[in-house]
Amino acid sequence: MTDALDRARHLPLAVSLVILTGVVLIPLGRLGAEVVGGGWASIDRALFDRDAGRAVLHTVLVAAGTTALALPLGTALALLTERSAVPARSMLRFGILLPLLVPAFVLGFSWGQAYGPSGLTDDLASLAVPGLFGPIGIVLVQTVDTAPLAYLIIAAGLATRSEPDLERAARASGASRLDVLRSITLPLLRGPLVAAGAVLFAASMEAFAVPVVLGVPAGFGTMTTRMYQALQRSAEPAAFGEAIVLALTLVVLAAIVLAPVERSLRHPGSATRTGGPEGSSVGPPRRSGTVLLAGAATVYLLLGVGVPLMAMVLTALTKAAGLAPIPANWALTHFADALRGSAIGALGRSAALAVAAGFALLALGGLVSWVERRPMGRSLGSLVSLTFMLPGSAVAIALIVAYGRWLGDTIAIIFIAYLAKFWTLAHRPLSGALDRLPPDLERASRASGAGRLTALRTITMPVLAPAIIGAFALVFLFSLHELTMSSLLAAPDTQTLAVVTLNLQQLGDRGATAALALLVTVATVGATAPLLVVRHVMQRRMGQGA
Amino acid sequence: MRAGQPTSTEAVPALRCRGVSADYDERRVLDGLDLDVGHDEVVAVLGPSGAGKTTLLYAIAGFLALSAGEIRIAGRVVATKDDATPPERRSVGMVFQHYALWPHMTALEIVAYPARRTGASRAEARASAMTLLERLGIAGLAGRRPAELSGGEQQRVGLARALNGDPKLHLFDEPTAHLDSALRGVFREEMASRRRETGVASLVATHDAAEALAVSTRVALLRDGAVAQLGSPRDVYERPVDLWAALLTGSASTITAHSEVVGDTLALTIAGAHVVAAGGAVRSARAGSLDSSAVLIRPDWATLEGPLGGIVRVVRYEGPHTDYTLETAAGSVIVRELRAPRFEPGARVGWSVQRAWVLAEPTPRP
Repeated sequence: MTDALDRARHLPLAVSLVILTGVVLIPLGRLGAEVVGGGWASIDRALFDRDAGRAVLHTVLVAAGTTALALPLGTALALLTERSAVPARSMLRFGILLPLLVPAFVLGFSWGQAYGPSGLTDDLASLAVPGLFGPIGIVLVQTVDTAPLAYLIIAAGLATRSEPDLERAARASGASRLDVLRSITLPLLRGPLVAAGAVLFAASMEAFAVPVVLGVPAGFGTMTTRMYQALQRSAEPAAFGEAIVLALTLVVLAAIVLAPVERSLRHPGSATRTGGPEGSSVGPPRRSGTVLLAGAATVYLLLGVGVPLMAMVLTALTKAAGLAPIPANWALTHFADALRGSAIGALGRSAALAVAAGFALLALGGLVSWVERRPMGRSLGSLVSLTFMLPGSAVAIALIVAYGRWLGDTIAIIFIAYLAKFWTLAHRPLSGALDRLPPDLERASRASGAGRLTALRTITMPVLAPAIIGAFALVFLFSLHELTMSSLLAAPDTQTLAVVTLNLQQLGDRGATAALALLVTVATVGATAPLLVVRHVMQRRMGQGA
Repeated sequence: MRAGQPTSTEAVPALRCRGVSADYDERRVLDGLDLDVGHDEVVAVLGPSGAGKTTLLYAIAGFLALSAGEIRIAGRVVATKDDATPPERRSVGMVFQHYALWPHMTALEIVAYPARRTGASRAEARASAMTLLERLGIAGLAGRRPAELSGGEQQRVGLARALNGDPKLHLFDEPTAHLDSALRGVFREEMASRRRETGVASLVATHDAAEALAVSTRVALLRDGAVAQLGSPRDVYERPVDLWAALLTGSASTITAHSEVVGDTLALTIAGAHVVAAGGAVRSARAGSLDSSAVLIRPDWATLEGPLGGIVRVVRYEGPHTDYTLETAAGSVIVRELRAPRFEPGARVGWSVQRAWVLAEPTPRP
């Protein structure tokens, strides 16, 4: 048996390389070849056309604005929950990450229902956010949408780079709270801050959902919405030509933004810290100050997520636009409307896709985690990590270029897109758990008389179970939310639930859109939350930190 | 190196290492190591961190490959440069430094695990595990998971697991490194009674000299991946091969003196004064009459009464005893008294030597 395993040593590496080549490298290569083959004229036509050029400019400006707001916000929230004696810390952490559970297009749409013209606050108090439909609204909503990303990166950085003892040492040396922040904490966080900035910028550039919901109605186009519109007119060869040039341009822009921080994206630090109690406030707690800050964070979460979601619920429940959102006017007619068309089929399709992607990527993520621990496969994990940074629109269009002839208009091409984009979401949790797995656990099992496979079955897999569940949940969640790639790849009979919701919104049916968006959100949260609870319980029983 | 003979009369030792070499990260960690453990022996492997103690245990258990040499367990070859028996077929029971308890199992399941692997039914394995937990006085913790156990409790569960697979050889990796001193005493007693009951050979890796001397029948001093000295606890304490070995096994000072072996005793001339001490004997590192050689004196071998003169420089009170560091004409000497301090730094005192050991050529300090 040992011999058989040794002989098959290179098989996993070969399999992972073949799959990576098939789902990412070949499509990207074909995309590049197509653009080059089209010659300078098509590039010139696509990029220096007045509208297209403006879309590139809009994309960069929106990304810059979002980064400028979301980075300080995420940093402040991370410092609040990880470095102060804030009350209800775990509640606050959960609240800050909550926007991750809400699909971006639902957030964008619900902001429209809450703060837009004839939205909830407009109806109640004649208050509306000026310019919500347009660049201002896009930047605001994307800030709420991407701030959790910055929060996660900075909080991880706080856990690894800036150990609480380093800050306590500064306090003991006579530094004030502010001195410590300025002279110790932030300098130690330089790496994570730069990385978070680059990731936010790249994520905003590739964002599609918020611009399509808030920008398109106002005639404000970004690169991603322009690609979407180009593919809507796919009968025109010129439109598709423009889409592929934009796709490649987006890849190049993302590469430029991410290249300087590429190392830290490939090798995120593992979370270890020297002693200190949970949350590790540095210095005696100052109740009043932190209560105030926690209050501010709560207000932000209410305004950013709570009120919009509530407005969406009211829109979904209220019989007709213009009626007051009171129980007397409530009915389920919008839900009936929403479910009348292709929604039921799409729901099944989305669920099947998400489950299939979850299991497939568990296998692929486990494969890469195994391969990258062998001498010849070290860089494979890095390569897989970088695929997540590829703009979704570019992945979708590259797949159409490469495989559209055979797989276009099938659900298979959407599945491949999910594999390409979300591979690392399964790989990272598994790989991280393997890093934290004490090697002595397996050794103890071998010394107790267990063979390799028995040790894997009885020790390694059960200890990794929370990570496996977490990896599956992450892929499942992102797959259900996915709109960017699905909207470019879906044919009328392969639409996912997110695409159906987007189509309803584009048709202008507010009530039905709200009803379906609500169902999407409830379905994702309802399916993911039990997984996360089970994972949490398992972790606690094994004494693993969250 | 001195080859020590196993005290066992059995022909086949529980463990035999011959010329064992192993590399880790392209560094030679074990370098031609020879070591035998008799079938009812406890051998302590004592060495500073980085000497290769854990590597040796891992090589014996089968977690890393040899670069050269041969390891036999109970007479059976389990590892050579080219061939290795997998760990699960080596009949070893190992207690890990950080216990390595499986976080998803209860104490009972963990202890039952090795018995299950040998083919026992679930009920049988649990019954034998329960018996072991009872013997170790932790039957009440059977249903708890490692996260709910204290360090000492985890350690006992780890010990019970190592005992439940009917191993031919026990391996202990720094078994008390993470226990407080009270629990260390408890563990040493457990080790001793376990040895009386089961008679299974044990190899204990430790960096704690007191523990090595207390738990073992023989001590192997490990330096740079090879055995620098092997002998009974008294041997290595009273007759170290060199200064490095002397300091590894406890506190000691060296003075310069003229020495002459007279039968069992050692006639010393220290700064013009004459004393006769124990420690001559037949196996002295160097025999005959020697001018100004390095003479080793343990703190407990000297007394604060006698013909020699010195000035107290440091007084260290440690509870049961007090150590005085004296400045003398022959060098600095540490003298121990089993009583509270009675001199202040700066006091002029007399001292003498009851036992001494003439060192071989000087070697680097550890």
